[in-house]
Amino acid sequence: MEEKALEVYDVIRTIRDPEKPNTLEELDVVTEKCVEVQELSHDEYLIIIKFSPTVPHCSLATLIGLCLQVKLQRCLPFKHKLEIYISEGTHSTEEDINKQINDKERVAAAMENPNLRDIVEQCVIEPDD
Amino acid sequence: MKENLTLIQRLNAHPDSRCWFVGWNPNGTLLASCGGDKAIRIWGREGDSWVCKGVLEDGHQRTVRKLAWSPCGNYLASASFDATTCIWKKKNDDFESLTVLEGHENEVKCVSWAPSGNLLATCSRDKSVWIWEVDEEDDYECVTVLNSHTQDVKHVAWHPTQELLVSASYDNNICIYKEVDDDWECQATLQGHTSTVWNLSFSATGERLASCSDDRTVKIWKEYLAESGQGELIGDISWKCVCTLSGYHGRAVYDVDWCRLTGALATASGDDAVRVFKEESSTDPDQPLFSLAAHMPKAHSQDVNSVAWNPKEAGLLATCSDSGDIAIWRFQEQD
Amino acid sequence: MASVFSGVLQLTDLDDFITPSQECVKPVKIEKKQGKSVAKIQIEDDGTYVQINPAGQKQKLEKAKITLNDCLACSGCITSAESVLITQQSHEELFKVLRNNKASATEKKVVVVSVSPQSRASLAAFYGLSSSEVGRRLTSFFKGLGVHHVFDTSFSRTFSLLESQREFVERFQRKEQDSRALPMMTSACPGWICYAEKTHGDFILPYISTTRSPQAMMGSLVKGYFAEQQGLSPQQIYHVAVMPCFDKKLEASRPDFYLNKAESREVDCVITSGEVQKMLEEEKVTLNEIEDGPLDTLFSNVKDGEFLSHAGSGSGGYLHHVFTYAARQIFGEETKELTYKILRNKDFQEVTLEKDGAVVLSFASTYGFRNIQNLVQKLKRGKSPYHFVEVMACPSGCLNGGGQLKPSPGQNPKEFLQRVETLYKAEVAQTPEDDARVAELYQSWLRSVGEEHARELLHTNYHAVEKMTNGLTMKW
Repeated sequence: MEEKALEVYDVIRTIRDPEKPNTLEELDVVTEKCVEVQELSHDEYLIIIKFSPTVPHCSLATLIGLCLQVKLQRCLPFKHKLEIYISEGTHSTEEDINKQINDKERVAAAMENPNLRDIVEQCVIEPDD
Repeated sequence: MKENLTLIQRLNAHPDSRCWFVGWNPNGTLLASCGGDKAIRIWGREGDSWVCKGVLEDGHQRTVRKLAWSPCGNYLASASFDATTCIWKKKNDDFESLTVLEGHENEVKCVSWAPSGNLLATCSRDKSVWIWEVDEEDDYECVTVLNSHTQDVKHVAWHPTQELLVSASYDNNICIYKEVDDDWECQATLQGHTSTVWNLSFSATGERLASCSDDRTVKIWKEYLAESGQGELIGDISWKCVCTLSGYHGRAVYDVDWCRLTGALATASGDDAVRVFKEESSTDPDQPLFSLAAHMPKAHSQDVNSVAWNPKEAGLLATCSDSGDIAIWRFQEQD
Repeated sequence: MASVFSGVLQLTDLDDFITPSQECVKPVKIEKKQGKSVAKIQIEDDGTYVQINPAGQKQKLEKAKITLNDCLACSGCITSAESVLITQQSHEELFKVLRNNKASATEKKVVVVSVSPQSRASLAAFYGLSSSEVGRRLTSFFKGLGVHHVFDTSFSRTFSLLESQREFVERFQRKEQDSRALPMMTSACPGWICYAEKTHGDFILPYISTTRSPQAMMGSLVKGYFAEQQGLSPQQIYHVAVMPCFDKKLEASRPDFYLNKAESREVDCVITSGEVQKMLEEEKVTLNEIEDGPLDTLFSNVKDGEFLSHAGSGSGGYLHHVFTYAARQIFGEETKELTYKILRNKDFQEVTLEKDGAVVLSFASTYGFRNIQNLVQKLKRGKSPYHFVEVMACPSGCLNGGGQLKPSPGQNPKEFLQRVETLYKAEVAQTPEDDARVAELYQSWLRSVGEEHARELLHTNYHAVEKMTNGLTMKW
């Protein structure tokens, strides 16, 4: 499971913050410890990510959640179900944000909004290395 | 588990996209599907297999979320994330776009035709439910805008015989509306689910309502006459939850469909499975018992979004998934 | 918290499930101070933000404040505007001004309260009085609290009606050259204006009458004519309007009704009929036990101590007056009784003028969002047959405004509304042209200020709100 968790982490750590030039890893929004993987069946996994927005009133938390959803959907090579949450106590409206970023219909609709999609694409683009 | 759900056919209906919804026309000869590819597809039977009879494109700019056949079967309404609802008219074997209903502020999540065919309901992330009236010239006018929900409205459904509308929302509640004087009013709010209510389905007679939710349960609500004193009394409509199916679904339940021919209840879930529940015979109507009659794990390779019983052929079931597939099943009861 | 605004405004509230302070996405301009080096920002346990300079000194950072104007210029949401409003325009604010007046010997404000006839009718229905009785008793109530003048917006409405009439005839005459001249839509309902600006922008705005609402007309009268007469600067006057609806608070906050030079709003504060009831309760009195007071006749539509009204709907009677005037001016027809034909529902009615078997004037009233919606859609499809439309956001119009009093527990809301309507209609109607004092003000004051300024005092402008396209601030 730890291997899988690292695989997940490798996908998300390079996501850029929507506002700052840094990656989520550099800003400590995500860390290795924030990824938990459970086996659902022999070839399917449940991934739980708990990220920490930089400030408790960060209005961009939903956008970061959206980036995590989109990049993992696209890049993970194994079958999975995904749950993304804000680390407890790091955001003043965490329940609301958790509900929104785990509503697949809302996520799908958001990605059809050209303005939102542009930002998410910028954030999840693989860095040249 | 009991092997009484057998696959008849699997169709790669919306390739490289999600299939959000499947719905049978009233006489059960056509199946319509829609998805993230902005297209609507019409499927019909040819010999032993189901084939694509037509593709309705260019109607919407974004995902087509749900569809509704008119009671006469000659019209199809499509609800889209592009904030519009399209009305299509059947012409021979083809469909042509008749009109576009505008007014919702953002994504339209569901559309439903009243049994008379004269009223159409739509709902949206803008938190509102709209009722439209159709006149003889196929003109649509807004009859009312209802703001009873505090969040995104996910689903609207009409009572099978009366002009009674129900809606389900991200605010965890279900609202029931009725026309009073010359406007519509919310007559009752059903509370009980602890997360988004995704879908609703009336029983054949309309005395009961099934709801399914992100909280991984299905609830059965029963109508009580106001004077019976049971349940919450709001206005003259009173509905009470008489049964909760919990522990069956591993993730959110996205759809529930109550077969009007057999009374079987089918569910679509984010755990990739399709399930069928049957009511135990001779149970107390105030405390009905439902048991799992069929369970098809991995019915699809991803979330199952929609499930629909054929209205004429008992046991024929269509489902669809985030994988873009449609599956046609046969459910057979085993005693 | 349930929204207090009309349904129309609630709908333009795109999607908010995050409370206002977190939800507001309006970028705020902040004065940047020259800094020598990098500073760190830290959040204290109590949630305040402090800046720490390299020397380790802490400095508390000011919170960015969003004003109502910011909200109105933003297509983001209404919710934030709501909480801003509650702090800026409330009966508590009025109490505060009155307290300050008592406490300070030098910095006194002249407090003017302008009461709408719909508010009087609502209070009258609740307390079992006549509308005029309420007007007289409210005058003594407010004066007892330290208010200097109590006026009646039925007086300023006479200006709104006269201007609407003229504007319509002018538009009718250029309808062949200007496809956006007709239908002329009324502008008195702020919920409708806000919805039109935010949702239909440049498409619908040209159709909306530029005539000021009665509240905004009163703003001109009080902070213009009255201030001048009294030798006061607009800032020295605190002008409060008592209105049947919360959306009027938004109207008062429009930059169009802000006097830039004098740095003063024409209406400083709007309180609803319901808030007046709250004030009475807080003062532990009811209107029944208050004595009648003498009326301020300067800006009041009164005769022998009784208030006068206008014919037509309880929402100002715009359709009635414009129709009657246009029939006479354009077609030489005298219309006494107007026949209202109820169309789809009671909030959608039609009045037509036929001449030689042909319909020459086609007017409608559309109240409530459903009817507004159909009107807008018809207009978009080029299928609207109307020359004039009286548009109100609330079902049943202003008498049923969101700021009106709620019936007592057990009282039937429909019967209560019926009573409000009866009490409102009980006042004797006056023809706007017959008001000698209004005619006098046109002759003296409005003529003296010059045509251009007179137009500014009687009319206003609308502004399409651009849709937000910044993905960073977009709610989904």
